[in-house]
Amino acid sequence: MSIRLLIGLSLMLGTKVYAQHTQHIKGNVIDASTLRPLAGVTLVGHNAYAVSDETGAFVLKTVGDSAVFKVSHLGYETLEFKPHATTASPVLLKLKSSSTALATVSVSGKTQERMHSENATVSIAVDEEFLDANRENSLMQTLNKIPGVSTMNIGSGQSKPSIRGLGFNRVSVVQNGVKHQAQQWGSDHGLEIDQYGIEEIRIIKGPASLLYGSDAIAGVVAIQPAKIPERNSFNGSVNLLTETNTDLYAVSAGMQSRGQNWFYRGRLTYRDYADFKVPTDQINYENYIFNLHNQDLRNTAGKEADASLSLGYVSPTFRTETFFSTVSAKNGFFANAHGLEVRNSSIAYDASNRDIDLPFHQVNHIKIINNSTLNLDAHRLHVDLGYQHNQREEHSEPVPHGYMPKPSGSRERVFTKNTYSLNVKDVVSWGAHTVSAGINTEFQNNNIGGWGFLIPAYDRFTLGGYVFDHMALTENLHLQGGLRYDAGYLDTQSHFDWYRSPRTNADGSTSQVYAQRARDQQLNFGSFSGSLGVSYIHKNTTYKLNIGKSFRMPLAHELASDGVNYHMYRYERGNLNLDPESSYELDAEVRHDSGRYRFSVSPFVNLFDNYIYLNPTAAYYESLQIYEYTQAAVFRAGGELTAGIDLLPNLSLDASAAYVYSRQTSGPKDGFTIPFSPPFSTLFSVGYGIKDFSLFSETRFTGDVRITARQTDIVPPESVTAGYEVLNLSVMSKLQVVSGKPWALRLKLNNVFHTPYFDHTSFYRLIEVPEPGRNFSVSVTIPF
Amino acid sequence: MRILKLCLVFIGLILCAACSSDSDSLKDEEKPTIRVAYEGGFPQGCEVLKRGETYTFKAQVTDNEALAAYSLELHHNFDHHTHDDQSETCELSPVKEAVNPFIYRENFKLDDRPKTYEISIQVSIPDAIDTGDYHCGFSVTDATGWQRRTSVDIKIVE
Repeated sequence: MSIRLLIGLSLMLGTKVYAQHTQHIKGNVIDASTLRPLAGVTLVGHNAYAVSDETGAFVLKTVGDSAVFKVSHLGYETLEFKPHATTASPVLLKLKSSSTALATVSVSGKTQERMHSENATVSIAVDEEFLDANRENSLMQTLNKIPGVSTMNIGSGQSKPSIRGLGFNRVSVVQNGVKHQAQQWGSDHGLEIDQYGIEEIRIIKGPASLLYGSDAIAGVVAIQPAKIPERNSFNGSVNLLTETNTDLYAVSAGMQSRGQNWFYRGRLTYRDYADFKVPTDQINYENYIFNLHNQDLRNTAGKEADASLSLGYVSPTFRTETFFSTVSAKNGFFANAHGLEVRNSSIAYDASNRDIDLPFHQVNHIKIINNSTLNLDAHRLHVDLGYQHNQREEHSEPVPHGYMPKPSGSRERVFTKNTYSLNVKDVVSWGAHTVSAGINTEFQNNNIGGWGFLIPAYDRFTLGGYVFDHMALTENLHLQGGLRYDAGYLDTQSHFDWYRSPRTNADGSTSQVYAQRARDQQLNFGSFSGSLGVSYIHKNTTYKLNIGKSFRMPLAHELASDGVNYHMYRYERGNLNLDPESSYELDAEVRHDSGRYRFSVSPFVNLFDNYIYLNPTAAYYESLQIYEYTQAAVFRAGGELTAGIDLLPNLSLDASAAYVYSRQTSGPKDGFTIPFSPPFSTLFSVGYGIKDFSLFSETRFTGDVRITARQTDIVPPESVTAGYEVLNLSVMSKLQVVSGKPWALRLKLNNVFHTPYFDHTSFYRLIEVPEPGRNFSVSVTIPF
Repeated sequence: MRILKLCLVFIGLILCAACSSDSDSLKDEEKPTIRVAYEGGFPQGCEVLKRGETYTFKAQVTDNEALAAYSLELHHNFDHHTHDDQSETCELSPVKEAVNPFIYRENFKLDDRPKTYEISIQVSIPDAIDTGDYHCGFSVTDATGWQRRTSVDIKIVE
């Protein structure tokens, strides 16, 4: 709507006649949370107007002192400004960002980003409203409704992101400006982030190394810092959630407060859930049959306890916030098969569906992040400082494997990662140009423990520098481009087995040796990345076109692993000669939104010079199949399509579809797809709002059907996954229980027909475990 | 609406390009097979083997294109940590600690890319090893990297 306004205003500009007795009010418009100047903001009054320039400055020519001005900007809440004769000039106006919701999937306007470096990049903003309405058991499952975003699930409570079919270390998760660093390379690892208290997430689909460095080769899930509370405010909310499928109980309570300049906020979350139920009594994996008790997937219960606290200071020129958080979880793994390995045990798993027996893992992630912004005349300086400690312990029953005798204790694998990050960015506005230049540095110290070996201990240091220019050619036509160089250093430590294995010597004799699993190795990497993009706004339609090159540094296990993964029945071998992955992508987006109709299409074409994956070879090592980290050229293409219509003001229909085609065009699996390719998927939603009644208001019913095609495009060792249709229903309402803010209620019924179906990218797919069955959940949010 | 149509055509073209360049028919998407439960296959489920004896382990393997390698692996199951994938359930001896368990792990290559092959491996069971429940695993790969595994519960006695 603001675009129309803007266009209308620009037309008016030429014809406007200056009024008599004009009074000049000078001022600046800034973003209330980031304190960045906002350009293109319209100030409209009865007979006056103004549009802020690139530095956020405006001059209002008004008549008298009774005028009220509407200050509006796409992506921001409209503000009313009433200047008086006494109003000091210049005035400072702060606009609060509002991520606009389109039906169930929130897709925000891009206008704010036109001044930001993410401009022209195909991105999606997800707001708190969307998160509340779609909340599932893990953050990424909540985001699963966004076309092009899928998840890799590990049971019911854990998941990791996948964007356009690429996941693990190819998607960067960024929280408050700092890259979340955990064990994201692992297939049984989920994201350790409290999904409550998040106000906005920006998802970039496509390569984003230019601004985020290595690992952002497929996209970014950027959790934005929460907005700064209003002056002299105190508020908060308590959320209660219960679910039938996993017998889950969760509570999350958060509060925030601000005096004049100082503010603080805090949140506590606790979740406890039992084994998840699947719509089957029996799992048939190869020739094994596992009978389930009450359809409970044995030993998949979990619990999670999170706490966070932040303290900040804000003034017109300086803003700083320091954020402390801890996320702890304990999750059980399916007892009958860990990985692919079928296990017998004398543990009485079925005695309770809530206890967490072996095998399980325990994770703790501690974060301390400081974000500071200094607003100088033409410069804005941002500094992000972060420390993260990630501890993951995998416990399983000690059993002998190969030449390894029965180990003592259950600590199979222990991963400890300490990450130190520093990002510095300066943004300079200069005419039509907004130039950003910055550096990102990160140091990681990784240690290992336990009796099982998978990856070596290593240190990693990365340093990247970039410069990025955003240029407004006209009001509606913007260009952007940038260049970046990254250097990386990796130092892996040697590792030897703690037990002896027989080795055949050159003379034919056999000796018992402690086999070396990793070598002491120092490696250096360097890579350029860059991008060029254009965006054009015409009426209600936005066009975007981007071309970019991104990269990813090989990980320690891809380079240096040399060990047996018994749970997967394979021997994993790294390759020290791997090059950094480089990816070239051309993507575009056309988005149209005329209020009643909305439509978007975002196609992409992508080429990888050297995509790294774990390739199953035909060879054996000690009777286990050798899997080798290999590089191959890969061609990918696909995109997302969304369309929606409001049939009536209270009845909306929306549909979306996402497809990715991937082909390896060289190497040992030439002609095959790449691992974990998501199938073609569509989502149809109907939303119906009803009139307020009794104490209920803003009541809205939603039904959505996900139709996913059969995935026949597989690469060894994957299996074909059948297509499925799943229906979910929900109703949300506001309930005025007592005086004060209304409570938010949500009832949700997932998998209405208790349909057994498989998710091609789920961890348990390997052993033929279907996705969770019917789930009824009730959520209440009580604000105060 | 013109834009909408153009976009549909665009995405349609991408999808068509994607589908038509597909080489599905040329890819090997079949796993090899492995069979022990036939006359001559050894060991059959719950087979009892004696220490000091030499046995020929036999299994029939096939593939649609080319077999590449196979392996045989024997390890103890004194702690009942796993079970086989054959139809019958064997009676296991009581759980016990391993002292000197028998471990056999060998790999073999098939260089002439056969489509069918009978695995035949001579294994001598030493005299000094622990008797009790053992697990016997065969696995086979094809040239593409597909693998099939099967396992049989056996017992080794004096």
